[in-house]
Amino acid sequence: MSALSVVTSTARGPSWRRSRRGTQSHPLWFLVPALAILVVFFFVPTLFNFVYAFTDWSSFKSQINFAGADNFVQLLSNGSLLADLRITLVYAVLVALFQNLFGLILALVLERDTRVNRFARAAFFVPVVMSALAVGYIFQALLKPQGLLNGALSAISGQHVTTAWLGDTTWTIVVVAVIHAWKWMGLSMLIYLAGLKTISEDVIEAARIDGAGWWGTFRSIRWPLLAPAITFNVATALLGSMNGFDVVQATTQGGPGGTTELLNIFVFRTFGQGLFAQATTMSLMLFLMVAVLAFPVIRILRKREEVL
Amino acid sequence: MKKKSILALAAAVAVAALAMTGCSDPGTGSTGGSVSWPAQNTKLSGVTLTIWAAQNSNKTPASVISGFEKLTGAAVKVVTIPDPYEQGVQTKVATGDKPDLAFWQPTASELTSLNAKTNLQSLDGAPWAKNYTGDLSTATGILDKTRYAALVTTPAVEGVYYNKDLFTKAGITELPKNWDDLITDAKTLKAAGITPFYEMGGDKWATQWWVQVQLADAAKDGLWTKVNQNKEKFTDQTIQGAIDNYKKLIDDGYFNSDIKTATFVDQGNAMLNDQAAMVLQVNSYFNELQSLASTAELNKKVGFFPISPSGNVGTFIPDQSNALVAFKTGDAKREAAARQFLSYWLGDGYASFVKAQSTVSLLKGVKTPSTVPDALSSVAASLSDSVGSMQALAVANPDLYLNLADMIQGTKTPEQVAQTTQDQFAQLAKAQGVPGF
Repeated sequence: MSALSVVTSTARGPSWRRSRRGTQSHPLWFLVPALAILVVFFFVPTLFNFVYAFTDWSSFKSQINFAGADNFVQLLSNGSLLADLRITLVYAVLVALFQNLFGLILALVLERDTRVNRFARAAFFVPVVMSALAVGYIFQALLKPQGLLNGALSAISGQHVTTAWLGDTTWTIVVVAVIHAWKWMGLSMLIYLAGLKTISEDVIEAARIDGAGWWGTFRSIRWPLLAPAITFNVATALLGSMNGFDVVQATTQGGPGGTTELLNIFVFRTFGQGLFAQATTMSLMLFLMVAVLAFPVIRILRKREEVL
Repeated sequence: MKKKSILALAAAVAVAALAMTGCSDPGTGSTGGSVSWPAQNTKLSGVTLTIWAAQNSNKTPASVISGFEKLTGAAVKVVTIPDPYEQGVQTKVATGDKPDLAFWQPTASELTSLNAKTNLQSLDGAPWAKNYTGDLSTATGILDKTRYAALVTTPAVEGVYYNKDLFTKAGITELPKNWDDLITDAKTLKAAGITPFYEMGGDKWATQWWVQVQLADAAKDGLWTKVNQNKEKFTDQTIQGAIDNYKKLIDDGYFNSDIKTATFVDQGNAMLNDQAAMVLQVNSYFNELQSLASTAELNKKVGFFPISPSGNVGTFIPDQSNALVAFKTGDAKREAAARQFLSYWLGDGYASFVKAQSTVSLLKGVKTPSTVPDALSSVAASLSDSVGSMQALAVANPDLYLNLADMIQGTKTPEQVAQTTQDQFAQLAKAQGVPGF
């Protein structure tokens, strides 16, 4: 039997053999549990997202009627939606920037496998598994005008510092993005570490023999070779934070003056008013925006990898 | 091949099944049934009632529950729904999750947002309704001529809490008799180096009282009826003018300098630490003061007066902690038990309830305990001639407070506040099917 299969496989070429073996070791029905969960908790809700956006579903009555494009017209004629979409985009870009910067710095600092570094890596990964709301509430307490940060600053500077870190209509979005990035930087660090480990020692050694210092090696060899890790990290950070809600809800609830009101917070507020269809329409818009953004971003990042 | 088709079939069935269950709103409950009111002491062993309450109301029913459990053998448990309470309850009810009873704001707009006709029991013919003092039995808790909510404590009144020491210090001996007097006194206080008003822009929600009390006269003349018919808008002179006035007072420096970040807790401390002379607030503010100082101290230091443009008329705003609604759960036995619980609360259990809570009695024949602070008694006294707030009289409750807080932060102009509020109001009214929208 096995001899026969080897003979036939060589006759028909290796690609056939690979796919045949794949089928045998992983029957298709293995997919069912995962697929069922995906269908129930992702595909169906997404489908309903499209359906309910065209209805007048609300908490005020029991019937759900078709409403055409009413919700879309109403939302697009209202400035709040576009303003919140812009805030969401700014937030996502800031988070992607900070999270990758922090993650990369951590990965480079903790690159060597010493005992201290292993402990430090685990420590920096802790925020990733913490509840985002808990993180938000802790930072809110730290950053309030009478909070710990101002207390520490007052002690150092000798002056009474009462900066409202979460009360500035221009800069608070940056502060909140840093908190979000702080929570997730451990994950980026881990992926950058894995990326750094895959770079062959030979290449680094060759560069060193050619006289390249740390910075030269990093710029010309390690940074380009990290491209796949960057693709993954930037894409997940950017697209993930477009769906941000918890950290911002716990720290500023969209304030001050609506300057950190991410679209999801607006959706939450609208849903809480009982306007379920309108809230659904907004989350559909967010879904579309993430989808529209995802393809070019991933494409551009992938293109960078082609030099490898 | 065969497996593939089975898989596809399974997926298709799952999608179809979900599609079919998903298309009807799960908030549809049992309807009809004549309302009977069981005697307060009917035995209820084995029956468990669930009450949903907010963080600030979950301790309120304690004395009633222990009395009721002893009398009837029923078990009553309180489940705290996290803040924001109203949103949490609405979301749960929308997905089909219902308690037997819940604390709820007894206003038409909030009863509508729970879809009262479908989800709530009618409380018509309630044995306690005729015992309410004043015109409380008809003032609130009613939607489309059906009673859905049972008022257990005095509805909150928007009015001015003032620091008696600071008034004396500035030489103010007589309380303001109208809005102009209030502003004159504010000028006197400011001239004496005292911050006249303290506002909590950080926690936002109290901002709307400033607009609402200025509308008291207009509300008496049917402002909110016109707004409900889309014949008057937030952007028209009456409401826009009130917003502009508020903005001007802030710009002219009548408020605390940290207005953008100050919180509800700060507002409480400011009154007790003589940082500001006046706070425009509702009853829950006084509860906050009670958690910070004794009744004797408060009686000495803090007073209350209602204010309106032309006089001392308060604006009442019943909130979630003032009333309860009973849900249609589909279980006739528990529904009856829920009504019996309300009968007991506003019946034999009421005297011990007002005593345990140190609150003003709403029922004839039940005395207000002597432990109730003076300011709260003044609040209750102002209730009889007060007018309804936006929450009490408008068909929808837009996020006016949030837009005003944005104005304080400088991200919205007074015109934008009115426009955004009007847009949202129209959206909500349209969703409810209100004629004219």
